[in-house]
Amino acid sequence: MTLEEAKAYVLRRARELSLEAELLFGEERELSLRAREGRLEEIKEARQRGLGLRVVAEGKVGYAYTEELSQEALDWALEEARENALLSAKEGALPEGRPLGSHDLLGEGLSAPPERKKEAALALEEALRQDPRVKGVLMGGYLERESRVALASTRGSEGSFRTGFAALIGSFVMAEGKSVKQGWDFRAGKEFHALEPGRTALEFREKTARLLQAKPLKTGRYRAYLEPRAMAMLLSVFAEALSGKNAVEGKSRLLGRLGEKVASELVTLIDDPTLEKGLLSRPFDAEGTPAARTVVVEKGVFKTFLHNLETAKALGQRNTGHAARSYRGALEVAPTNLYLEPVGNLRLTEGVVVTELMGLHAGANPVSLDFSVQALGLWVEEGEVRHAVENFAVSGNLLELLQAVEAVGDDLDWLLLHAAYGSPTVAVAELSFAGA
Amino acid sequence: MLKPELVEAVLARALKGGADFAEVYAERAKKRWMKVRQGALEEALSGLDYGAGVRLFFGTEVVYAYTNDLTQEGLMEALETLLRAKGTLGRVDEGGKGGLDFRKSTPKGLHAPKVAYGEKDRRYRLERLLEAEAGARIAPEIKEVEASLLEWEEEVLIANTEGVFAEERRVRTRLLVLAVAQDGAEVQTGYSGPGKSVGLELFDLYPPKAVGEKAARQALTNLRAKPAPAGTFPVVVGPGFGGVLFHEAVGHLLETTSVAKKASVLADKLGEVVASPAVTYIDDGTLPHAWGSTEIDDEGRPTERTVLIEKGVLKSYMVDRLGYLLTGYPLTGSGRRQDYTFAPTSRMRNTFLAPGKARVEDLFSGIDFGLYAKEMGGGQVRPGSGEYNFAVQEGYIIRKGRIEEPVRGAMLVGKGPETLMRVVAAAQDLENAPGMCGSLSGAVPVEVGQPHVLVSEIVVGGRA
Repeated sequence: MTLEEAKAYVLRRARELSLEAELLFGEERELSLRAREGRLEEIKEARQRGLGLRVVAEGKVGYAYTEELSQEALDWALEEARENALLSAKEGALPEGRPLGSHDLLGEGLSAPPERKKEAALALEEALRQDPRVKGVLMGGYLERESRVALASTRGSEGSFRTGFAALIGSFVMAEGKSVKQGWDFRAGKEFHALEPGRTALEFREKTARLLQAKPLKTGRYRAYLEPRAMAMLLSVFAEALSGKNAVEGKSRLLGRLGEKVASELVTLIDDPTLEKGLLSRPFDAEGTPAARTVVVEKGVFKTFLHNLETAKALGQRNTGHAARSYRGALEVAPTNLYLEPVGNLRLTEGVVVTELMGLHAGANPVSLDFSVQALGLWVEEGEVRHAVENFAVSGNLLELLQAVEAVGDDLDWLLLHAAYGSPTVAVAELSFAGA
Repeated sequence: MLKPELVEAVLARALKGGADFAEVYAERAKKRWMKVRQGALEEALSGLDYGAGVRLFFGTEVVYAYTNDLTQEGLMEALETLLRAKGTLGRVDEGGKGGLDFRKSTPKGLHAPKVAYGEKDRRYRLERLLEAEAGARIAPEIKEVEASLLEWEEEVLIANTEGVFAEERRVRTRLLVLAVAQDGAEVQTGYSGPGKSVGLELFDLYPPKAVGEKAARQALTNLRAKPAPAGTFPVVVGPGFGGVLFHEAVGHLLETTSVAKKASVLADKLGEVVASPAVTYIDDGTLPHAWGSTEIDDEGRPTERTVLIEKGVLKSYMVDRLGYLLTGYPLTGSGRRQDYTFAPTSRMRNTFLAPGKARVEDLFSGIDFGLYAKEMGGGQVRPGSGEYNFAVQEGYIIRKGRIEEPVRGAMLVGKGPETLMRVVAAAQDLENAPGMCGSLSGAVPVEVGQPHVLVSEIVVGGRA
């Protein structure tokens, strides 16, 4: 069946079985071109689609999905979702549906002949090699993703949107004497035409080259300058504490702290799904709630968790429209474009510039918000970068870190993970560094 | 899943389009997950993954496409897209003539489950998860417990133009418990997650109550733990998931994915001493019912036991088809992928440090001040520089040879080749533990393992 036929079939069958059902369709197209040593080494072109079901049976919620759209598979998914619901203890209901419209957030962003895209990948790889310190390029690549999400329910929801992005990726090894560093970098945008392979390659190279000839860092407590991507990674961990779902489940340290000062006055955190050219902007969330900008932390004061209908109700707050679901998953709460607002009062004096953090999936605890992670960086003295430092870890607690923010730059940059996280460089009064 | 005639037609068309080699990977997987909290089922999700990937080689250039449409039209369309992208559509090559002679291989069922999915109902699973949750309720400080069950039943088919036509059914089951302990403003977590290539007999191998209790004890230990010290110390790494140290510090550096591109610091070092003599490191895809075992790899080749490092000397890399073409190293059955949306690359299966001769207490006895990393979280590495990190989930201070107070928040960082040389001794108590390993071809189930191991110095990231 086509997706349209599958939708009609499942809605009809759900009504016959007296189930409330919400259908989320995902369709994705991916093009990935990887160049190495002047030729295209890997081309990947693919399509994926599936149907995710959230059903309510006897007032309880259950989930299922299928990528096979045969009648047999659709019946299987409906039956599994129903059985999952009947075993569940959790009460739930689908929202009152409404027409949500059909939106195009991508437009002609990815329309360029395939040849041009191949040239972009080759140009990036070529430019990466234009530095004698680059000893090997694992990949210079171009990646684009286009997706269409559609929502429909037995309660009358109906809508869809199309979005996507284009990106340049570089992975390479640089060496100088015995010093070796591996660079991995990614630059994404909503438009193919806005990508600049030559300039991006230069930027990738410079970001890694400055880390060469690193010296060990002496264990101690230093002022830290977290560069945008490093801070953005920490925001991705902090986002777990902002989730209304985690709060309801007792997994957020922000529970009970609404209206309190949880961070320095320089910290204003915003999630904005309506951001123009935002990599993860969307017109409505996974339950059909229209998108709106949400100020999460305002001048250090905690304003709201991110919510879907259920978590908002459970905590007695306004729904912020952050329901998230892929067709393969259950209903969650997730940010879209979450960023720290730039201030512009940052100047380097002394301490460690943290350029990169690694190992957050294991080294940062989203419940306790403690972190101890590997880092790369630069040693700063008398307002100047003196040399690179390596083989160290930086640790602390995210709530303490946010309290200790003493300056915020104006160089907002984005990191694309499961959501888009943005931050300028942030100066933190003191963090603990473990090294030599 | 797919008829041989259909697969043959696709492969033959690929050869006609100028490919030297073509492969079809098809997959149909039922994945179920349920989560218990507060004494009741919170959420349950069932899913059906269904798709196929087509991979073509033109020399060492690779093109890959995947689709959820497994009809003849769907697969042919995916293929034509690839040939178009490659610029060879319409080219007729004589190489495609003559039928393919598939050598069908029948799986032996080496890792087949004893208790099939349908033998027990959902209620039975819910009861086991409730036992796990109850098992974690050992102290008033345990405020939150989540017990989840993952069950994967996967069917794969791999066929290629060299006559491979292999099918396998892969069943995996994993129980995961997360415990959150709280005392005033202090919050800490504990975790336990046994998993095997088995069915519901997992509950016999790992009684749910004990799994819950283990997670809770770790949360309570962390709650009373002080922040770990910062600096460079001797470290004793505990058995089981402690093996993630070598997984990150060495394992990833031995995959041809990086080795072939000279993007590993251990490239071109076969036969050389790369580690202390205490290190014998093995990757074994054949261990019965292990979380990372399969009968065939995702390129359709039988898996095997590969000795990577023997007494400090580098013996073998992990080699997939592309790695073989680029380096000439013999294939090791190491081609793996998360699912049909990824082309395979060389990956680890069940990788462990072989047991040594030391007694566990001897590893501790000479340490004046150090860290005992009893349980690990995950880690990460950059093969190009060898810089790795991994998190200690449960740690203790070693003082004058004795294990003393617990510490939390320790992150071990270093450079793989240096750490390998600093392995002083391995004990005899080898254990393996399951995890998910993420890399170029997605997240794949692996086991890591080792006995107690003493490393003379590692940077410990804690509070300075």
